Amino acid sequence: MDALNQMSNSFSGWGLWIALVGACLGTYFCRAIGVFLSQSINQESEIFRWLAAVTYAMVAALTTRLIVMPLGLMATVPLWVRILICALAIGVMVSNPAKRLVPALLTGTLLMVGYGVIR
Amino acid sequence: MSSSNQPRIDPSDPSETPLEEAVVQRFKNPRDAFWSGIRDAAGAPAAVLFAGMVGFGAMGKTNGFDVWFTTSTSFFMFALPGQVVLLEMAITGSSALAIALAVTLTSTRFITMTVTLFPQLHQSNRNRSLYASVHLLAMTAWAISMREFHAIEARHRLSYFVGLGLLCWLISVPATILGFYLAGMVPAAVTLGLVFINPLFFLLTFTEVKPWINRTALLLGCIFGPIFFIIDRDTSLLTSGLVAGTIAYLIDRNFLRKKAGVLG
Repeated sequence: MDALNQMSNSFSGWGLWIALVGACLGTYFCRAIGVFLSQSINQESEIFRWLAAVTYAMVAALTTRLIVMPLGLMATVPLWVRILICALAIGVMVSNPAKRLVPALLTGTLLMVGYGVIR
Repeated sequence: MSSSNQPRIDPSDPSETPLEEAVVQRFKNPRDAFWSGIRDAAGAPAAVLFAGMVGFGAMGKTNGFDVWFTTSTSFFMFALPGQVVLLEMAITGSSALAIALAVTLTSTRFITMTVTLFPQLHQSNRNRSLYASVHLLAMTAWAISMREFHAIEARHRLSYFVGLGLLCWLISVPATILGFYLAGMVPAAVTLGLVFINPLFFLLTFTEVKPWINRTALLLGCIFGPIFFIIDRDTSLLTSGLVAGTIAYLIDRNFLRKKAGVLG
């Protein structure tokens, strides 16, 4: 197939790596700021409770984005199918939260694969 | 073991933080905790991450990036949503600076993820070495640690987290390479499953979140996420997190718990 060092044609090779270095530094910077701030935060404080809520909300927003407004291949699946499969997987999960993570994951994933096969 | 079984319990009860409950002696030593972290990662979390990274590797290949670049993002960034943004923006020809900024913005969740996870570690572990361990932090390891930490002695939590995060990180590199070389060889239906398994996993772990303040935050995040995404894509995670999280906090403070809290 293609040569291994084929580059995206809209982007020169060096610029791409510079962008990667910047992205990596930015990502690590966010993690490091967190470590720095965590040194002075007490796990029993009000700020901790608020930050935990903010974090859960962020993570939920990210997950919803991936499910409701996906990019690429997943966008070709109708929204109602995505939501229905999620609902079924959650149904399996809540029937016994302590034990059903893997069965629920399998339910959702296999249903999605199944949809891909029959469409 | 000579060490005390007494976890550090603060009597100033924050009813929700899942930390103050008496912890049973779960691990004998740090090595025990480390391997337990590895074992816990080796099930669903590793499978989920593996699938996600395979999907990402395939994305790199189909868009004409080379295997070194695609794999480097997994090794050095280890943040799937950020990696996807990086590729998307590179494909559309954004400048290196714009790419770096946009990726950094999607990574702001790491600030609060770290700030909510690391204060739960034992005081003796809260030192400069955390700047190395924090690279292993990603959503998968965070979600599991938040769930498990309350049942682990404080002094063994870091070992457990490092075991968990290390396996997740190490598995993402071969997964990316595999995805890169498998691209185009796997039926679309299977790829669909691989792409879907990641968000589904996060969704399912939400059902295990106990404190009502965090449950409220999750629910509001699901509602505000798409709204802010339509308003401005790049900052939407940050804004929806801040707005939904703050509302959840206020609901908790004014209604869910009877007594008024003191701002700390």
